[in-house]
Order: sequence, then C-alpha cells, then structure tokens
Amino acid sequence: METLNFLLDGFAAAATPANLAFALIGCIFGTLVGVLPGLGPSAGTAILIPLTFKLDPTGAIIMLSAIYYGAMYGGTITSVLLNVPGEAASVITCIEGHEMAKQGRGGTALGIAAIGSFIGGMFAVCALVVVATPLAALALEFGPPEFFALMLVGLCLVTGLAGRSLIAGILMTVAGLLIAMIGIDPVRGAPRFAFGVPELYDGVDFIPVAMGLFGIGEIMLTAEKPFREVIKTKLSHLFPSREEWRNSVGAIARGTGIGFFLGLIPGVGSIIPTFMSYIVEKRISKTPEKFGTGVIEGVAGPETANNAYANAAMVPLLTLGIPSSPTIAVLMGAFIVNGLTPGPFLFQERPDLVWAVIASFFIGNLMLLILNLPLVGLWAKILEVPYQYICVGTLLFCILGAYSIKQSVFDVWVMLLFGIIGYLLRKLDFPLAPAILGLILGPPLEKSLRTALEMSAGSYSIFFTRPLTLVLIILSVVILVVSALKLAPQEIRQTSED
Amino acid sequence: MRLGWQVGSFTFFLLFVCAIWLSTRLPLQDALGPGPGFFPLWLGMIGGVLSAVLFVQMLRKPVPGHEGEDLMPDRPAVRRILAVLILLAAAAMALDPLGFRLTALLFTAILLPALGARSLIAIALFSLTASLVVFHVFYYILKVPLPIGVFGI
Repeated sequence: METLNFLLDGFAAAATPANLAFALIGCIFGTLVGVLPGLGPSAGTAILIPLTFKLDPTGAIIMLSAIYYGAMYGGTITSVLLNVPGEAASVITCIEGHEMAKQGRGGTALGIAAIGSFIGGMFAVCALVVVATPLAALALEFGPPEFFALMLVGLCLVTGLAGRSLIAGILMTVAGLLIAMIGIDPVRGAPRFAFGVPELYDGVDFIPVAMGLFGIGEIMLTAEKPFREVIKTKLSHLFPSREEWRNSVGAIARGTGIGFFLGLIPGVGSIIPTFMSYIVEKRISKTPEKFGTGVIEGVAGPETANNAYANAAMVPLLTLGIPSSPTIAVLMGAFIVNGLTPGPFLFQERPDLVWAVIASFFIGNLMLLILNLPLVGLWAKILEVPYQYICVGTLLFCILGAYSIKQSVFDVWVMLLFGIIGYLLRKLDFPLAPAILGLILGPPLEKSLRTALEMSAGSYSIFFTRPLTLVLIILSVVILVVSALKLAPQEIRQTSED
Repeated sequence: MRLGWQVGSFTFFLLFVCAIWLSTRLPLQDALGPGPGFFPLWLGMIGGVLSAVLFVQMLRKPVPGHEGEDLMPDRPAVRRILAVLILLAAAAMALDPLGFRLTALLFTAILLPALGARSLIAIALFSLTASLVVFHVFYYILKVPLPIGVFGI
C-alpha cells in the first residue's frame, strides 16, 4: 500500500508539464542517438548530460533515463533498414529485421519491435515497482563487505564477458579503477596522483572521459572510412498481420522474462538478453531452418528482451547503486553530478525523486510507442542527413558538454586525451566497457574495501566469514574462471561491448 | 595488430609501474586501517603483473580473432582523423579567448570540408546555425555559462 502511495505521488510529480516535457525531449534525443549509427547509447547519454546541468535533479534524471531507453529502441531502426546496428543490443535484430526489410516487411519489423519493446518495458517497470522497496530495504542491511563483494561481481561480469581476452578486460578494469583514484582520497582526504595540478584535486570527471572514450573515439573510427552515401528508405504496413501476431505473442512473453531477469543481474550487458532471446526462439521454433530469412519471432523476442532489460537494469542501479552496463554507469554518473547517490539510501532520503523517476518510466515507454509507431518514417528520414554534418555536430556537442561541466577548458583537453586513447584501444579491440565501469565504481569500491578492513582491524577474514560476502566472492571467482576457460558463448563474448 | 597489442601491453605495464611507485610514496597503513596508497598499490600490482603476462603472450602468439590484421588506416583516412584531432585541439585553445560562438563557427566551417562536405551553402548554414542556435539554447534557455571571448561575441 505504501508503495502504491509512493507511486501515485511519483506520477503526480512526473506528470507536471515540465517533467513531461523533459521525458519527451529525452525520448526524442534518445531515439535520435539510437538511430544514428556510430553513436551508441553510452556516448549519447554522456554527450547529452550537459543539457540537464541547470535542471532540477528530478527533471534531469527523468530526461537522461528517457535518453537511455530511447536510445535502446532507436537502434532497431537502423538495424532493420540498413543492416547497421545503431547500438550493440540491436546487432541480433539485423539478422531477421533486415531480411524482413528486404522483403518489403521493414515496417512490420519496426512495428512489432515497438510493440514488443513497449510490453517488455512496461512489464519490467511494473516489476521494478514491486521489487524496488523490498530490495532497497534488504540492501540497507548490507555492510561494506557485502557492497564490496557485490561491486566485485558486477566488475567481474563486465570484465569476463568483454572482448576476446580476459587479461585485456581485467587490465581495462584496473585502469579505470586507477583513474578513479586521482584526486582526494575518499576516506582520509589526502590528495593522490594530482601532480600539483589544481584541476586534478577534484578527480577526473567521468563525463569527459566517457565522452572521449565512447564519443570522440567512435567518431575518429567512423572518420577512418569514407562517409557512406545518403540512404533513402521507404516504409509501409507497420502493423503485423493476424498470423504474424500469433507468431509474435509467445516470443514477446519469453523476451520479457529473459530481458527482465538478466537485467536484474549486475554486470550483464544489454547484448546478452537479446542473443539469449534469439537463441531460445530458434531452439523452440518448429521451423528453425527458416531463421535468417526474415522470421518475425527473431525480431519480436530480442527487441522485447532489449527493452525489458533496459528498464530492469534500473533495479540494481536504484536499489543497490550498482550499474549493470556502461550506459547505466554513465547514468549513475549523472546521478552523482546532480548530487545524488543511487542505492538504498536514496529511497530513504529522496523517495519523491526515486518514485517520480520510476513513474516517468511508464510515461516514457508510452511516449516511445507513440513516437516510434506513427513517426518511424520520420526517424528513417534522419538517415538521409549526410554523415559529415552529424559527426561535426556531435563533436561540437562534445566540446560544449566537456566545457560546461566546470566551465573549464581543462575538461575539453581531458576529453580529447581520452578520445585518442579510446580510438587506439578500439583499433586494438581492447574492451572499453570495463574501464568506464571501473571509473564509476572506483571510489565506492575503495571505500567499501577500506571500511570493511577497518571494521576487522585489517583482517581479510571479514570477507570469508560473512555468508553473503563469501557467496558473492566465490561467484566473482567462478565468473572469471568460466571466462578464462572461454565457456561463455563466443558470439556473446565478442560483442558484449555496450 | 600483434605489434599494437605488444606496444599497448607494454604501455600499460609502464603506467602500472608508475602507479606502484607513486602509491608507495603515500601512506599504505595508518592507525585507523588501510591508507590512501593501499588500494592503488594493489591495483598497480595486479595491472603490472597482467600487462607483463599479456606482453609475453603477444610475443608468442597472435591476437585472438585478429590474426594478420593491419591496423594502419589509408592516407585519406589519416587526413580525416588528423583534421578531427587538430581542430578539436584548436577549438580547446580558442574557446576562452574567442568565445563559444566564434570557435564553433570556425570549427564547423573548417572541419566540414575537411571531412568531405562540398556544398558551400550547406556548410555556411550549418556553421551559423550550429554556433548561434546552440549558444542561444544553452546560454539563454538552459542557463549554461559559455565563454564570450575577447570580442564580446
């Protein structure tokens, strides 16, 4: 009953004209980010954070969340129409979606993707409402050792599934954690690795780093290839036929379940639920041989799983303060920029904000359905803009965003430096996701570790005598061992970058 | 590709060795427990060992999934990448003295042709819109302070 009251209060706050406008702007920008190939949701969310600098925290988080799940949907459009995934989670949609488009059924593929995404997203948000309060209450019982072990699980999952080399994944995580050590020590207040540079005493802000690694790095990689020709697309028949509906219902239900449950696990990137959904659909299909030729279940299932995952991934962020993927890590950074620390205490300290944001997910999902069904042709038109203009516009936004964090050119230089690093690491196929997660989780991870060791007077036994901590640490080791033995499916390992 | 990974892992190794050295200059332990140097020291050691292992691995076998792949982009690609980098650096230097509007105008007007845009009218329109509209939206509507520059524009 208390949850329902909180949710109703949340709806009242989310339904103010200003917050509705922020949700709508977020959905539009998010879909735009998703539509543009070469600009993933992590980069897009990071680049658009400056839009929210002067908003109140509730409006800012509503808008950025809408950008996030808008981007998760927008990627479908290019996957279906161009065979180019707008973001990693849409890779699998290319297989059946583009085949459908080649047969003149592109509109139907986009229609079922929008409907499936809506159903998956709505289910995940309903489940979020149910589990959020008990999970946050449970998390309040956690001490520093449990939080340390939980963050370790998240980092190990992202590291273990990222890229082809486990060692490279761990190196990137450690590098991200070390960058997070720059600045004032969070426990004792001593300066570290600042080299007398005043700007470094505040630490390296994650926004220019994320913009550089994901945004500038991606654009430099895109600039390597000759810019593609303008693409003209034609769409018709958005609504599936009765038979297509019949084939899609089960896939949507299964995609919802897969996406939701995988979204709850910290560290599982957005690519895994979509792959898993596709594999499940193919396995249980009576005609698996038809997969690859434009089967609607192969679009409905993964797209539903993608959006269910995107909304469910907010559960570990909001209740435990653990980001599940690089994009959620960027979103967590946006909370921090706005003076908020996601986690169980947020439910106690700012229930108004948390429930307004949760209520905005319902509104945002509805907005996305409205934006994506009738306006899909308009989004497709954006692909006709020559890519040079999109690149230059994005770069300009990066400069503006980095500068406006602290009105300092220093952050523009930081962004440029990490842009070069990001470009080189991408060229070498080093995974970037673990670095950004390490950068975000560095300070809380260190704080939990050191506080736990203070509690035990320096004895490491504290991590092995508390049952939950022990289970989580064993789980971390198992994840790394499984990854080292290359037991995770190869296609998931190769594309688990968000 | 293999050479790239060798250079990459060696660079990582050097960075982690630096981190270890800098961490040992900070207190590792104090009366209350682990000091500021404790966590970075552990990270440096883990990173150092793993980057050394990766370097040795790369001396003995090719990069998984990238056997024989060439990393170097062709000459036009290098020109485009350099144009992006140089103009970003120039924009960072010009931002405070010239202000956002003038910097954005020059940045877009120079970078667009460098990336292959040909229509002069489109370039001029885009540059003017990008600099003036973005400034107006951020400075006046979103109240984000942006640099004005010595010319007051």
